[in-house]
Amino acid sequence: MAHAFSKAGPEGWSCGKCGRKLEPVSVNVEYMGSSFFVELPGCPDCGSILIDSELAEGKMLEVEKLLEDK
Amino acid sequence: MEQSVLEQFENLCTQEALPACQSHCPLQVDGRALASLTAEGKIDEARKNLERNMPLAAISGRVCEGPCREHCLRTALDSGVNIPLLELCIVQEGRPVKPFPLPGTNKTIAVVGSGLSGLVAAYGLAMKGHKPVILTMGRPGGKLWDLSRRLMPAEVIEDGLQTLKNIKVEFLDVKTFDRADLDELTRERGGVFLAPDDPLFDFSWLPPESLVADRVTRSSNLNEKIFLGPDRHEKTFLEAVSAGKKAALSLDRLFQGVNPATAREKEMTGPTRLRVDLGGREPIKEMEPKEPTAPDKDEAKAEAARCLRCACLACLPPCPLLRGRKGYPKKYAREFYNNIITAFGIRHSNRHINSCTECGLCAQLCPNGANLGQFVAKAKIEMVKTSHMPVSAHEFALEDQVFSNSDEAAFIRLQPGSTTSAALFFPGCQLSGASPEGVLDLYRHLMAHLPGGVGLWAGCCGAPGRWSGRRRLTDKTVATMAEVWKKSGSPTVILACPSCARFFEAELPDIPILGLWPVLEKLALPERAVPLAEPLVVHDPCAARLDMESQTSLRRLMEKLGQALLEPPMSGRKTLCCGYGGLVSEAVPEMGRQFVQERLSGCQEPILAWCSVCRDRFRAEGRGALHPIDLLFPQAPPQAVMTEEPPGISAKREGRRFFKIKALTDIFGEAVEETKTMGLNVDVPGSVLRDMESRRILMTDVMAVLENAAKNGPSFINQETGRRLANLRPRQVTYWVEYDERQDGSILVHRAWCHRMETPGAPGERKESPASEEGFARTGGRV
Repeated sequence: MAHAFSKAGPEGWSCGKCGRKLEPVSVNVEYMGSSFFVELPGCPDCGSILIDSELAEGKMLEVEKLLEDK
Repeated sequence: MEQSVLEQFENLCTQEALPACQSHCPLQVDGRALASLTAEGKIDEARKNLERNMPLAAISGRVCEGPCREHCLRTALDSGVNIPLLELCIVQEGRPVKPFPLPGTNKTIAVVGSGLSGLVAAYGLAMKGHKPVILTMGRPGGKLWDLSRRLMPAEVIEDGLQTLKNIKVEFLDVKTFDRADLDELTRERGGVFLAPDDPLFDFSWLPPESLVADRVTRSSNLNEKIFLGPDRHEKTFLEAVSAGKKAALSLDRLFQGVNPATAREKEMTGPTRLRVDLGGREPIKEMEPKEPTAPDKDEAKAEAARCLRCACLACLPPCPLLRGRKGYPKKYAREFYNNIITAFGIRHSNRHINSCTECGLCAQLCPNGANLGQFVAKAKIEMVKTSHMPVSAHEFALEDQVFSNSDEAAFIRLQPGSTTSAALFFPGCQLSGASPEGVLDLYRHLMAHLPGGVGLWAGCCGAPGRWSGRRRLTDKTVATMAEVWKKSGSPTVILACPSCARFFEAELPDIPILGLWPVLEKLALPERAVPLAEPLVVHDPCAARLDMESQTSLRRLMEKLGQALLEPPMSGRKTLCCGYGGLVSEAVPEMGRQFVQERLSGCQEPILAWCSVCRDRFRAEGRGALHPIDLLFPQAPPQAVMTEEPPGISAKREGRRFFKIKALTDIFGEAVEETKTMGLNVDVPGSVLRDMESRRILMTDVMAVLENAAKNGPSFINQETGRRLANLRPRQVTYWVEYDERQDGSILVHRAWCHRMETPGAPGERKESPASEEGFARTGGRV
């Protein structure tokens, strides 16, 4: 599952609070009582995670549906 | 879910019942399968299939008299399919199946007589591993030798006898056979089979009634170990084969200590429960082979092509769910049941269960009234109860229901100026959300013409909760409604929406209800009512398929208006669902589209739909569509309204808010407090809005994200483009909005998307939704 999501973030975004460029950040994502670690683009300082539409409606949606059918 | 629920449903769907040829065959030969395989040229496979039910098929297949023929449904068109002709070809051309007997037992059986019944009994017993000995008087084969050599060449009989020897059947030639011999065999052997169809044996020393067997087990009244071949009334070869086959099975049962009589129903011949529609079938002349005793493959193929391939499947053609997956209701019900009782792993049928609109069309087409939708409704309740209903499937509709019943949209008032009302008008959340002004005019019309006063009751009946299997939410909604209604003096409720009507009937049976159209039909036509110049195809909503009164009233009302109507191919009792039923378009949108397209494919003209959801779904597909109130209480020329883009989910919510404010201020003369917003100036282009709608993202969701960003700053900024990205998780969904802040301070939204998976750090309250509240614990895990 850790490899399910792409860690390369969309181009040009930086954190709105800290102003830092986004880097791959290892985070714990959770749904339907299942949780797992993935690397996602995020702020290296405050840890804000960016989920772009491609990920939200692609891989992430797929995994959500899978967990809902489990 | 109790297994009995499945069994009850299974009993109604007869698709798995035997075709008439098989149900009338004493050997249960599957004539339909033989015909299919033969027609496809698969003669070897046909032989395999035949040998499964017909012992010693090389011989039996040449002498079958085909009692099935007179029961074949083709007799109603021309003549029954000549299955014996197929059998002849199959046993002559098809590759024989090598017999593999079960491991040996020590049971010896005396088979007295070597006619066809004796040979078959010995074959059946040897295949079960027992040791039959056939007593003969001279040449074995009995009356087989009397047949023409063309039909029954000597080598076929010899081969058959050799087959028996190969599976260790012994032959013992005797000179005489009498009572003492029978008594001795009965004592010494595990069982005895008397085969009176061998003319060389004389059983006249037995009283004739002792030679009459039980029809199913072939047991005799001589001794429990003695079984019988055909009696003097059973003169056909097929009866001999059947007697030998049944007796062999009974003897095997006896050796296993099982009562030979139990569970033998399937071997009884008789009429089938399978229902077949012969509509549109043409007569085809029966094939007459050049050589009747040796039809070739092409001749057999031609005859096999006459088979009707008997099947019910009456419910399949108009239903995208039923016809789409190569099954039939009984099979689906089993699949859905198995899905529910799955203990571990993925529940693959969730999507299919949520693809049933519960529209009830299958029950109308089924000769037994089997309603898969009713089964699905029970399955959904079970899924919610066991926390296995996918949360996202119906979430938006449930939130919509809760919104419609919140203070923002719901209210109930008696007719202004009266302390009682004889009736309450309940327009339903969809119609009042989509056509608020029209509904208000309609209410004014009712107030002006109905005696005794009529109040107005705005809210959602609770159909979405019921469709989604949420019993707790439904019960809560029902209890609130019953209370509100009682407080209003328990008046009759006039319902505009057919789905509300079904909900009231099922969940609030104490509330007297009236359909809107029967009420309006009796009143004068509204002053501004206007017909369309062109005829409209009248679409009956699926929820009203059995509401003949409303169907008739609506048509009469339109006639009174001068509106020409056309009837679609499927109408009234057999009307088609638009795809919203059962919340299919919410849970499985692509399936919802298949339903709406099925409806639209049957007609070309614009549609008059007396359910606003149907109307809007037709319009979303680009088909002109109107609701009767668009003609009776027009807010704009119907011709123009007809082709407008339908209101989306945000517009309908706004419509419900507007409906309440407008009704309270304009009709009931109440002051309404305006809701405070931050007053952001937000621009959402049409294409972005459409995109949001398909993701079930509301304008209010986007506004919440933007208001949060206005207070706390955007989460991300794009250094290259200057665009902002903000996110918020107000409930179990995270919303993202990508936007630009224009120089004038206004906001231009470029995109919005959402996901359910939770990542750390997203701002928001994470409120439970009505979908996740019932069946899922607060953690998101299963309770």
